[in-house]
Amino acid sequence: MKNLLKSALLTTAAMASTPAFADGHLKFAPGSGDFSWETYETFAAAHDLNGQTLSIFGPWTGPDQEFIESVVSYFEAATGANVSYRGSDDFEAQIVIDVEAGSAPDIAVFPQPGLAADMASLGFLTPLAKGTADWVKENYAAGSSWVDLGSYPNASGTKELFGFFYKVDVKSLVWYSPDNFADAGYQVPTSMEELIALSDKIVADGGTPWCIGLASGPATGWPATDWVEDLMLRTLSPADYDAWVSNELPFNDPKVVQAIELYGQFVHSDGYVNGGSGTVVATDFRDSPTGLFTSPPQCYMHRQASFIPTFFPDGTEVGVDADFFYFPSFAEKDLGNPVLGGGALFAITDDVPAAHAFIEFLQTPIAHEVWMAQGGFLTPFKSVNSAVFADPTLSAMNEILLKATTFRFDGSDLMPGAVGAGTFWTGMVDYTNDADAQAVADAIQASWPR
Amino acid sequence: MDNILAQSVFAVVCVVSLSALYFWLSNAALTALGGDVASWPTYVRPWLFAGPALLFLSLFLIYPTLQSVFLSLHERMPGRTLEFVAFQNYRDMLGQPKFTEALRNNLFWLVVVPALSTALGLVIAQLTDRLRWRTFAQSMIFAPMAISLVGASVIWKFVYEFRSIDLSQIGLLNAVVVFFGGQPQTWLFMPFWNNFFLMVVLIWIQTGFAMVILSAALRGVPEDTIEAAIIDGANPWQVFFRIRLPQVSSTIIVVWTTITCLVLKIFDVVFAMTNGEGGTQVLANYMWSQFTRANDWGIASAAAIVLVLMVMPIMLWNIFGNRQ
Repeated sequence: MKNLLKSALLTTAAMASTPAFADGHLKFAPGSGDFSWETYETFAAAHDLNGQTLSIFGPWTGPDQEFIESVVSYFEAATGANVSYRGSDDFEAQIVIDVEAGSAPDIAVFPQPGLAADMASLGFLTPLAKGTADWVKENYAAGSSWVDLGSYPNASGTKELFGFFYKVDVKSLVWYSPDNFADAGYQVPTSMEELIALSDKIVADGGTPWCIGLASGPATGWPATDWVEDLMLRTLSPADYDAWVSNELPFNDPKVVQAIELYGQFVHSDGYVNGGSGTVVATDFRDSPTGLFTSPPQCYMHRQASFIPTFFPDGTEVGVDADFFYFPSFAEKDLGNPVLGGGALFAITDDVPAAHAFIEFLQTPIAHEVWMAQGGFLTPFKSVNSAVFADPTLSAMNEILLKATTFRFDGSDLMPGAVGAGTFWTGMVDYTNDADAQAVADAIQASWPR
Repeated sequence: MDNILAQSVFAVVCVVSLSALYFWLSNAALTALGGDVASWPTYVRPWLFAGPALLFLSLFLIYPTLQSVFLSLHERMPGRTLEFVAFQNYRDMLGQPKFTEALRNNLFWLVVVPALSTALGLVIAQLTDRLRWRTFAQSMIFAPMAISLVGASVIWKFVYEFRSIDLSQIGLLNAVVVFFGGQPQTWLFMPFWNNFFLMVVLIWIQTGFAMVILSAALRGVPEDTIEAAIIDGANPWQVFFRIRLPQVSSTIIVVWTTITCLVLKIFDVVFAMTNGEGGTQVLANYMWSQFTRANDWGIASAAAIVLVLMVMPIMLWNIFGNRQ
C-alpha cells in the first residue's frame, strides 16, 4: 500500500516535469545558411532563464507542431529555459475551458483575434511589455494595422496591446494547374470581370471552372466565409468591411447580402462547381483541390489560402504542377488590390518573465526564418532574409502580403465566436444548400451577441 | 500505461477502503453511543449511510442545476462580473432561428426514435421468439448497444460518406446507389431528411435494448392465457394484439420513456456527425456550441434549463407513474 502510494505520487511528479525538448537538437546549426544568426546571438547574450519553465498552448498539430517546436528549441538553447508546447485541433473550445478553470498555459496562440479579445475583456490576458506596440509599428509591414488587430479593451475597458502576430496566411489566392491552363489556352485573369468571363468560357468549353469544398469536421462552412469576405473587400470599401466586422453595418444589410449572393454566383451557377453545388458542403476542403490535378481536370481553379499546398496530392510540385494567382479585384470598381489574410497571435495568459522573454524572442528575425525555411510560413516582418524561404512561391506570396494596398484580416476570426465560429459557418452551409441569402443573413444578425 | 494503471488501481483501492471504513466507523460509533435498538440511532443510521451519496448528489447534480438557473438569468460582463438581466437570455435565444430549429428537431427525435425503436424491438422480439437460433439473432441485434454513441456515429458517418461520382465510393449507402446506376447523394446535408438519417443511428442502437427487455416480458406472459385464446379460436394476430400485447404494455411504457429521456438529451450523434450543420441542430448541441464557441454562459444555461424542463415531466411520470 505504501509502495503503491509512493509510485503513484512519483509517476504524477514525473509526468509533470517531463521536458519537452532536449537541448542541442537545433534544426539548422547556428552560423550556417542565410539566417540572421547575429540576432540569435544577441538575444542569447541578453537573456538567461536557466531553470525557468514556459508552457505554450496553440492550434498547431502535425507538421506545424514540429515547425513551432523547432523554433522553440532555439529559444531554449538561447536562454536555458524549459519550454513545452501542446497543440490541439479543438483549441478554440479547449483554451476557454483551461483559462476559465484556472489552469491556463503561460502563452496561448490564438488563431482568432475575436476570441483573444473576449479573453482580454474577461481579464485573462496580460498586456505585452511597453514598447512592443512601437516595435510592431516600425518593423511589420502595415505595422499599425497589426497593432490594432492585437489591441483589445481590458477588463476595465482600456485598450492595450495583448497579441503579438507571428505566422500569417494570405487568403486571396486562386490555385490552378499551369499545364491545364496552357493545354486549354486559358490566360490568368487580372480582374474579377476576366475571372467571371473565364469561368463562363470554361463552362462553354465543356469544362468545370471551380472546385469548392466546405466540409471541415466541426468547423464545416468556414471556406465559404473566406469567399464572402474576399468578395466583400472587392465590392465595398475597407471602411464598410470594418463596420461589418464590428456589426455597425448589420449582417443583413443589402450590401452584405449582395456579397453573399456574389459568392452564390460562383457556387450556384450551372456547371460552375465540380459535382454541382449540392456536393460542395459535403466535400472536405482538404480533398477539394485534388480535382485540379486529375486527368482530365475536374476543375481548373480553386480559391484557398496559402497553406493549401500541404493538402495537394503527393508529389505535386508547387510552382511547377500547381501555381497561384491573386484573386483579382473588379477593374470597374476603384477599390485597389485588397488582400484578405489571417494569422496567429501570441498572448500571455500567465504573467511570468519567461513569457515576456518569448515575445521578445519572436521579435528577432531568426524566430521567423527558422519556420520560413521549413515551409508554410509567411511574415510581415520586414527585416527577415527572404532568401531562406523554402520555395519561391512562398516569397511570391509574401510579396502579395507586403504590396497589398489594403490588408484586411479574416472577418469571421474577428467577429464574436458566436458568429465567426458559429452561425456564420452554419449560415454559409445553409446558403450553399440553396437557402435564401436574406434569410441566412437575418439569422446570423439575430445571433450577434448584444 | 503502467503509471495510469497503477494510479487507477490506487484510486479504486483508496475509495473503496475509505468508504468501507466510513460505514464501519460510523456504525460502530452509533452503536457505542446508543444502547437501545428502538432509540435514536435507528433514525440516524439511514441518514448516516445515505449521507455521502446525498452529499455528492447535491454537489454534482443539485448545485449545478441551481447554478444554471442563476447563470441563465445573468449576463457575463467584461472583467468576469455577472449582471442580472432577468429573462433577456431566454428572449435572445428565442430570437435565434438556430434555437427554434433545435427545438423542432428535438421534437422530431422525440416522436420518431422511441416509437421506431420500441416498435422494431417488439416486432423482432416476437419474430425471434420461437426460433431455434433466437439467442444468436438477438445478440446480433443487441450488439450495437455495446458501441458507444460516438463510435456508432463514426461508423455511420462512413456509411453516409459522400464522394463525387468519378471517385470510388467508400460510403456503403452511396456505393449501393451508384451500383444501381444512381448519383451519389450527400445524405448528411439533405435538407430535412438528414435529421432522419441521424436518427437511424440511435434507432440502430436502441432497438437492441427494446428487444431484450420486451423479449423477456413476452416470455413472461402466462402460457395458459395464450392457450385459452387459441382454444377459443383466436388467430395468431389476435393472440399477439389482444392477449400478449396488453400484458406487456407496462414494459412497453418503461422502454418507451427510457428511450425518450435518452433522446431528449441527444448530443453525441449530432456532434460527431454534423455538429448541427445543415439544419440538424438539437438542443444539447446548441447548448454546447453556445458555451464553448460563443462563450456565452447566459444563453448556454438558458438552453440547459429548457432541456431540463423538457426532460422533467417524463422523468417524474417515469418515477411516480410506475408506482401504481
